[in-house]
Amino acid sequence: MAEREKEKNVSGAAAVTNEVAGAANSVSGAMPSTEKHATSPVEDAMSQYFFGEPLVGFDPSEITGQLVVIEGMDGSGRSTQIALLQEWLESEGFSVITSGLRRSNLVGRDIDELLAKNAVTRLTLSLMYATDFFDQVEHRILPALRAGAVVLADRFIFTLIARGVVRGINRDYLSGLYAMALRPHLTFWLNVRPETAFAREFKKAQAISYWEAGRDMSLSHDLYWSFIRYQTMIKREFEVMAKKNSFIELDGEASVSSVNKQLRAKIGEGLGIRATKYTPSAALAHLWR
Amino acid sequence: MTRVSRAGDTADDKPDADGRVMENQDLLKDVGKDAAKDAKKDPRAEAGKSTLPQPGRPVPSRAYPGALIVVEGTDGSGKSTQLYLLKRWLEIGGYRLHFTEWNSSPLVKSATRRGKQRRLLTPTTFSLLHAADFADRCERQIMPLLQGDYLVLADRYIYTAFARDAARGCPPRWLRNLYRFAPVPDITFYFRAPLDVAVNRILSGRPKLKYYEAGMDLGLSYDRAESFRLFQARIMEGYDKMVDSDNFVVLDGTLPVNKLQKQMRDIVASKIDLKRFAPRAPEQE
Repeated sequence: MAEREKEKNVSGAAAVTNEVAGAANSVSGAMPSTEKHATSPVEDAMSQYFFGEPLVGFDPSEITGQLVVIEGMDGSGRSTQIALLQEWLESEGFSVITSGLRRSNLVGRDIDELLAKNAVTRLTLSLMYATDFFDQVEHRILPALRAGAVVLADRFIFTLIARGVVRGINRDYLSGLYAMALRPHLTFWLNVRPETAFAREFKKAQAISYWEAGRDMSLSHDLYWSFIRYQTMIKREFEVMAKKNSFIELDGEASVSSVNKQLRAKIGEGLGIRATKYTPSAALAHLWR
Repeated sequence: MTRVSRAGDTADDKPDADGRVMENQDLLKDVGKDAAKDAKKDPRAEAGKSTLPQPGRPVPSRAYPGALIVVEGTDGSGKSTQLYLLKRWLEIGGYRLHFTEWNSSPLVKSATRRGKQRRLLTPTTFSLLHAADFADRCERQIMPLLQGDYLVLADRYIYTAFARDAARGCPPRWLRNLYRFAPVPDITFYFRAPLDVAVNRILSGRPKLKYYEAGMDLGLSYDRAESFRLFQARIMEGYDKMVDSDNFVVLDGTLPVNKLQKQMRDIVASKIDLKRFAPRAPEQE
């Protein structure tokens, strides 16, 4: 399947690396109906940019930047790595824009409120997150990619899909929902054990939040077990998606500097940065443990 | 009678605790367990999972005892007036009913307002916000009430999104998928009035059309009234395409109000077993 998709994508796939082509089918490649998605010629040309359907008014020729996604559960070290990568890329002369969940101007704050009130049902929450995601794609990520920037995305559709699926929302439904999502040039998965993630998260805030522990799912009254079970379910979903979407899996339990080195090597390759040596500035030295 | 296989038709076929009703609805499965394991446990869930809905085909039928009546049509087609009168008729008769309106969920309201005021909305986010609004009403009102044997009346339903968001350029297949959790109405009334009639009804009653209402975001015309007309024409085209595929009952929006209401009531009475929704029906059970 990946081979065939690659062939289709050869024409004009300038900015797209081979890793991405492997992800050419939809997010959840298990469904036969996604094959129909790639039938019309318009969609063929677009399939290197989107999982299924092109966004309204999208013009591929404008894309000159790179979209790099860092995925991984709470406590996997995503934000640490993104802070370091941003500094490194800027020191190399690249413009960097970051994105992340609940950061849209449109509904970011509304989702915060919904979460705080805990008065929202799973499908509504899922769709609010989708709104948040697409608002950022259209108002933040796409403009940055048009301007030739490197976009570092702290989480992407994969987290949103995993969270929906473990709450019983149909996988195909969610794949269809995110069919208009931009396909990343690189997707990294910082994989850690839930136990490690728990220790890191607890250390950070001396507490585990309601949603981090998946407490809406009634998995356990014990916070620790609720967290472990919930994150294990999420992790299992990531394992399902990892192959289909050519995740680059990194051991999130390794040291910050060694994970960062691997990230720099891959990202540097895509951007044509030969020497990827880097030591953080004094401002970020505390992250380099 | 359009009622096909409803759990509520027989007393002992009540929805069971593990949420089979939701499985019939295809989208939402049991929570808190491994999804793959669940699918294996119930072959029907597996079978229902494999296809994306095709444009023009309604979402799979479901099992609940209530009934859902929907009105659709362009702005100014008279649908809201008619649904109000239908609601009054049923209320006065003492029937168990709930009325729900498009874009009315308090949860999503502030986001929609902000998006409209600051013109942040794109076709995609406009569509998603309305879907979130609908999902909230669907999960917290429409579905529970249909399960609880209510008559639910909806002023605008998913077909509004299909017609309007597609007019804005959203892919129809994406839209169909977006709303596939929605229960299929028992009756969908489509109020059809000639474009000029509908548009003039709106323009004569409103000092200024709002930006998104007039479809100004589509860039069809700098003149709001003209933009509105062109936008409504596209929407009407979208509705017309769904008449057969989605079993619309087409009503002539230019008829006198009371005549139209008579037609509507006759159709409701013939298609829905209203006795079920009466407060006390001693002869029935």
